[in-house]
Amino acid sequence: MIEHPGTTVITGAGGWLGTGLVAAFSGAGDRRRTGRLRLLVRDRDDETRLLALTDGAGLTVEVVVGDISRADTIDRLFEGVTGSVDVLHTAGVIHPASMGDFEQVNHVGTANVLAGATAAGVRRMVHVSSNSPFGTNPERRDTFRNDEPYHPYLGYGRSKMEAELRVLEAAERGLNVVMVRPPWFYGPHQPARQTTFFTLVRTGRFPVFGDGGQRRSMVYIDNLVDGLVRAELTPTDAGLAWWIADARAYTVAEIVDTVGRALRDEGFANVKPNRLKLPELAGDVAERLDGILQKRGRYVQQLHVLGEMNKTIAVDIDAARRDLGYEPAVELYDGMRRSIRWCIEQGIQL
Amino acid sequence: MTAPVGHDCDVLIIGSGAGGATTAAILAEAGLDVIVVEEGPWVEQGSVVPFSLEQMDRQYRSGGVTVALGLPSIAYTEGRCAGGGTEVNSGLYRRPPAETLERWRTEYGIADFDSDDIEAICDEVEQALSVQAVPGAHTAPSEKLRLGAERLGWKHDEIPRWMAYPEQGNAVDGRRQSMTVTYLPRARRAGARLLVEHRLDRLVMNGDQAVSAELTDASGERPTAVSIAFRDVFVCGGAIQTPAILQRAGFRHRVGRTLAVHPTVKLAARFATEMNVPDDVPVHQVKEFSPDISFGGSASHPGLIALALSDNWRAFGAAITAWPQIAVYYAAITSQGRGWVQAVPGLRDPIVTYRLTKRDRHLLGQGLARLALLMLEADALEVYPSFRDAPSVRTRADLATMTAAFAASSASVMTVHLCSTVPMGERTERCAADSFGTVHGARNVHVNDASLLPDAPGVNPQASVMAVAIRNARRFVDRRSA
Repeated sequence: MIEHPGTTVITGAGGWLGTGLVAAFSGAGDRRRTGRLRLLVRDRDDETRLLALTDGAGLTVEVVVGDISRADTIDRLFEGVTGSVDVLHTAGVIHPASMGDFEQVNHVGTANVLAGATAAGVRRMVHVSSNSPFGTNPERRDTFRNDEPYHPYLGYGRSKMEAELRVLEAAERGLNVVMVRPPWFYGPHQPARQTTFFTLVRTGRFPVFGDGGQRRSMVYIDNLVDGLVRAELTPTDAGLAWWIADARAYTVAEIVDTVGRALRDEGFANVKPNRLKLPELAGDVAERLDGILQKRGRYVQQLHVLGEMNKTIAVDIDAARRDLGYEPAVELYDGMRRSIRWCIEQGIQL
Repeated sequence: MTAPVGHDCDVLIIGSGAGGATTAAILAEAGLDVIVVEEGPWVEQGSVVPFSLEQMDRQYRSGGVTVALGLPSIAYTEGRCAGGGTEVNSGLYRRPPAETLERWRTEYGIADFDSDDIEAICDEVEQALSVQAVPGAHTAPSEKLRLGAERLGWKHDEIPRWMAYPEQGNAVDGRRQSMTVTYLPRARRAGARLLVEHRLDRLVMNGDQAVSAELTDASGERPTAVSIAFRDVFVCGGAIQTPAILQRAGFRHRVGRTLAVHPTVKLAARFATEMNVPDDVPVHQVKEFSPDISFGGSASHPGLIALALSDNWRAFGAAITAWPQIAVYYAAITSQGRGWVQAVPGLRDPIVTYRLTKRDRHLLGQGLARLALLMLEADALEVYPSFRDAPSVRTRADLATMTAAFAASSASVMTVHLCSTVPMGERTERCAADSFGTVHGARNVHVNDASLLPDAPGVNPQASVMAVAIRNARRFVDRRSA
């Protein structure tokens, strides 16, 4: 791997992954950085939180408040950067307030960041994509290979696919940009929706479809940070993309079971056996409703998550192992325990 | 009315394909008096261009294509000539995978179905049919499959074929070792009689015993009636005709209820260089997603290219002028669906229905999209998927347009691998024949063709059909002499 850049620009720094990166760069581990961090956040609350997180790490931290869908934000983000600059583009909307946000943030925003990075002559940019441009696996045994045809899953998938296409075009034009594709992630710094996930498991109300044998790839946040940094610092051709996930996909039944076990082992005595078993058909109905509502510009998070829960989304990380030397260190049980502990430390009620 | 021409024999074999021809050779060589009847004509190899329209006319049932009803309807082909499907298929050879044999043995309760025995018979078959890889150069469409798979890091293989080649011969120099040049001549040398252009009208039953067959001889100027008496009869008409023959003879239990196929979808791909080899098919297959999805090359003479472009002729039709640069490829899946074969009084051919499951339809779409991606990686200039109103694909972004537009119900789904309509095994609740092909409830009616395979093997099935047929024929000889 090559040396750290003089300046690391992180978009979406206030988000789950962005915060994970900032924590790793200013922490005691071997991901610690020197030099300048320029962080793009949405509001002053994020700024305060990130400044506290980086306090005493010896980094020069500059926070830009703004919105990547706006040109003036991009100007401010790259204003006056010199020397070697890497951009870690984590900003994105998964569960939007309105459907227009998908296009504005994920697609237009990414195009803006690409244009800014090109103009600033950055050394390397890593775009954080998703499994969603590729849809779901056609059968439980199927696993997405590193290279797959686009088959976007609803509005989010389309916007992330458009973003990927813009990345590929920018790479063609000479920008040194690559992509990582994380599936469903978990771990510290999680947003509130993930707390709901723990609560549902604890109370035995997590929706399991059929026998729960659907396979899901997940990625522990530290594994993802590691993969993303490797994608940044390993010299490769531009335009490449890698799945970054835990070593293997888990079945939904295994996920619910493991989280239940992790909760008990972290001292939650009252974890109930899961009893919300739904017929496969319910997942199909939710998916269809979600599709219909999204076409009309409405987004209902619960419906969307439900519609995806009876699908297999499994990915193959061999290319990341081969090209980046990526080796996920944390598996589901350990990762979930750490995640639960973090919630307890933050005083979050599960 | 003139009295029918009469024959009699020890064993009558109905059908002369991979199952019937091998059965005939084994039984005749064991000294049994064998007659083989075949509905189609004897066509000398080399007298018809392989994969041509003329071949479809002369050697296939119904001019090449029959349709299984369902949503979508699935087109299928059956050979109808001496040698059956072996005269007209791709000639690719795959042993049944070990896990397939295991599944058949355990899920259907097939007795004495030892994998080592089957493997040993496969050794023998490979010798007899000169199964081998191409010694010389591959065809351009085959090379494209290999190239695309290699660039994507997907597993791919050259599938051996039963072909004889001149020394260092290229793919196009192969001479197919089909039944008319292997097992049928062997059967004849051992005394078997082969009556071609004899169509079975019905089996005459006496209780649980079949006593004779009534046929129509269509080889002369006027059709004549033929009657053949026998001690035993082997029905080897393939997975569509065999269950229909049994149903007409009164056998109903699990007969024709579990048709299994490998559904395929196609695309045509245009390249910058000369591609077309009208009389051969690629020998490479992509097995990265095996057994659920596999990719291979199809016959690609201009007529078949036109057919592949016809799903969106308004947009794709103009490409036909570039046919020398175009080749046709398929994505095949293992299906969880099952079909029915039902003989209907008054109709010559049975009604066939097949239902794809939701997972099958999703697999077909994903298979077609992955195949299109592979074509782009292999430097295809343009890809024409075979479904109604399909968009053409030139870039990765176009793949998204294609996957969004795809619906299995508007795709041209077809199959060449039909099996499992008379599944064999001791579990009578799911099997129509016993572990050696004798129809449950019959004393002397046996089946020995693709109908017996309990489900679709996930690979080209001819090796499985032949190995099972040889095994069963030998068991029959042993029982007879005991």
